Amino acid sequence: MEQFLKHILFFLLFIILLAYPLDILISNHLNKSNYAWGEYSTWNDLYNGQINSEIVIYGSSRAWRHIDPELLEKSFCLPTYNMGIDGHNFWLQYLRHKTLLKYNKNPKYIILSIDIWSLAKNNELYNSNQFLPYMLNNSDIIDFTSSYKGFTTLDYHLPLIRYFGNKRAVMQSIENTFFFPSHATKRKKGFQGADLVWNDDLYNAKKNTEYYEAQLDPTLIELFENFLLESKKFDIEVILVYTPEYIDGQKFVKNRKEIVTLFKKFSQKYDILFLDYSNAKICTKKEYFYNASHLNKTGAELFTNILIKDLESTIEQNPIRK
Amino acid sequence: MLFNSIDFAIFLPIVFLLYWFVTNKNLKLQNFLIIISSYLFYGWWDWKFLTLIIFSTLIDYSVGLLLSKEDNKTKRKILLWSSITVNLGFLGFFKYYNFFIENFITAFSFFGSEIKGNSLDIILPVGISFYTFQTLSYTIDVYKKKLEPTKDFIAFSAFVSFFPQLVAGPIERASNLLPQFYKKRKFDFDKAADGMRQILWGLFKKVVIADTCAEAANAIFNNSDNFGGSTLLLGALYFTFQIYGDFSGYSDIAIGTSRLFGFDLKQNFAMPYFSRDIAEFWRRWHISLSTWFRDYLYIPLGGSRGGNWMKIRNIFIIFIVSGFWHGANWTFVIWGALNAFYFLPLLVLNKNRQNLDIVAKGRNLPTLKEFFQIITTFGLTVIAWIFFRSENIGQAISILSKIFSDSLISMPGFKKPIIIFLIFLFIIIEWIGREEEFALHKLGLTWNRSLRWFFYYAIAMLIFLLFDQEEQFIYFQF
Repeated sequence: MEQFLKHILFFLLFIILLAYPLDILISNHLNKSNYAWGEYSTWNDLYNGQINSEIVIYGSSRAWRHIDPELLEKSFCLPTYNMGIDGHNFWLQYLRHKTLLKYNKNPKYIILSIDIWSLAKNNELYNSNQFLPYMLNNSDIIDFTSSYKGFTTLDYHLPLIRYFGNKRAVMQSIENTFFFPSHATKRKKGFQGADLVWNDDLYNAKKNTEYYEAQLDPTLIELFENFLLESKKFDIEVILVYTPEYIDGQKFVKNRKEIVTLFKKFSQKYDILFLDYSNAKICTKKEYFYNASHLNKTGAELFTNILIKDLESTIEQNPIRK
Repeated sequence: MLFNSIDFAIFLPIVFLLYWFVTNKNLKLQNFLIIISSYLFYGWWDWKFLTLIIFSTLIDYSVGLLLSKEDNKTKRKILLWSSITVNLGFLGFFKYYNFFIENFITAFSFFGSEIKGNSLDIILPVGISFYTFQTLSYTIDVYKKKLEPTKDFIAFSAFVSFFPQLVAGPIERASNLLPQFYKKRKFDFDKAADGMRQILWGLFKKVVIADTCAEAANAIFNNSDNFGGSTLLLGALYFTFQIYGDFSGYSDIAIGTSRLFGFDLKQNFAMPYFSRDIAEFWRRWHISLSTWFRDYLYIPLGGSRGGNWMKIRNIFIIFIVSGFWHGANWTFVIWGALNAFYFLPLLVLNKNRQNLDIVAKGRNLPTLKEFFQIITTFGLTVIAWIFFRSENIGQAISILSKIFSDSLISMPGFKKPIIIFLIFLFIIIEWIGREEEFALHKLGLTWNRSLRWFFYYAIAMLIFLLFDQEEQFIYFQF
């Protein structure tokens, strides 16, 4: 019996000893895949110090889908990168910002796409798989994701635990290791235009509820304000942009005005440019959207060009090209 | 409680330590621990159905004792039939009540009569088909005086409820398992290590092969109308490996777990997909059920004695009953009948016992003839599995008609390289270990220890990492 228990213990020890290298192997192949909606390419660029851009675009999926960095780069002759993170408010946008400053040179300009969800409460760690390859003992990720439901303390600190029960991620990593590696990301400098036409999202939302009301989060407002102060300190110019929303979608949000006013106040308080496209012509044209809050590829191209022009017209006040 | 669950991973070491360190000096106490653990194991799923097991145990224990005291043939028969009625009554009610009601209504409405009948919202108790057959075998053997009835109620209760094989077999005979509860078990290192290897292999079959194949098979079968022949054939192949990995995986875990406690259960699967004909397949697939039907149905019906018609009738009866045992659906009946059809030529030509040995024994590869025999038998079983997996006969026929159409010659969907790789890896390991009771039985024992451990490590890691959620075993529903 003693011999048997000893063998079991040795085998368990063997498993524990090899867990860490295996974790690295899985993570290093997973982050080269297009899994987690392609977010790995942005995270990889962040951690590998490959952003190094003068202009960076922050925001949620509305930043990711709306602002084409290549067009900005062409116009301003400044390296540009879109760091929009799908499904997340300013809390995780700030995590990306923090990672950017840690592993890359500071940008000169941050174009921050804001909207009704930017400072609203969000309990769900959407697309949590995007953190898998980077989160082991990563204090920044732990700080910014542990308040959500999803990962446990063991997931953050013990190798392989977070992969247990996450078969798809592991399969993706194995496929990338041994079979057909899918390295090619669909994102161009973080941006990915959506080749889609108008869908039923707004119709379905209206069917379910009369209106939507965003619940603002005081902690998030505080973080946002700190970010503005911190950017000033680092001599980074922040430009707030409320990118186009389809007009019917705007009407659907009960406290939209109140939120836009809050951003206006921030812009006045910290003397930063705020470009609000809520009343732009594009907002009335369904053909440029695939749902109420997202422009499609054509709409994104059109909007980016409008944005470029508007940024150029402010050069005299806030010179962008130095 | 599922074998592939965290609960079981905690439960098993606790019971193991209590069994060998706390209760090891007292056989009765050790058997009692098995009963308590087994009831906990079963009750984890639904404690209410424990009453059925306890009731079956009481009935069969009492009938066994009464049979030993009774010489009158009529009274003995009454006792036997009372046990059969109670056991099959439970099984019939929980498993077949709705099926019969619905089919009676359909049949009567076909002849123009409208009858009213209400189907009930019945939950099928897990494992009822398995423990019912196990306890029945005890009563029948005692009735036939092949087995001495036990007076040890604790040993008998432990035999009925023995947790490793309670919910999905192997269906043990009282003559094999019950006496093991009478004797003091001694811890045997080799047996326990072998048990661990078998558990490891069983988990690999379930978690890595069956559950991975299940995802693709379910996606294809649940949307079969949308796919062409090649994808549907691939779906049938995925299901073929899913059902084998699922069920034989369960049996391996059950047998391996029993070994940890010093018990020997009978082999339930013997690499059936390497069979050279259908008769061999049925000697290698779900052996404990096939032999149960052989001993308690086929032989009492006359077996292979009598003329060809008698043999054919008996073969059809056992295959159809076996199909029906799997579930209350005509698809299972057709599956059974189809296998009987496959069996017929061998039976009529008296060739059903020509492949009794292990294929390519002592050789690395089969001969070309053996290879084609294996492929043909495998192909036939794949076709039969389509009926087994389909929701209804219409779906099965539609799938088969697409498979045997032009759409077969097209690029299939769901050709996931990783699943195909895992299946090939699985086939290779099973082929190498085909002469053993289970593939890992002796595989690697002659290798140097670090290599062997690395091999086990790789299997363990695949199980750990490809574990998705606690997927139920297919045979639980039977």
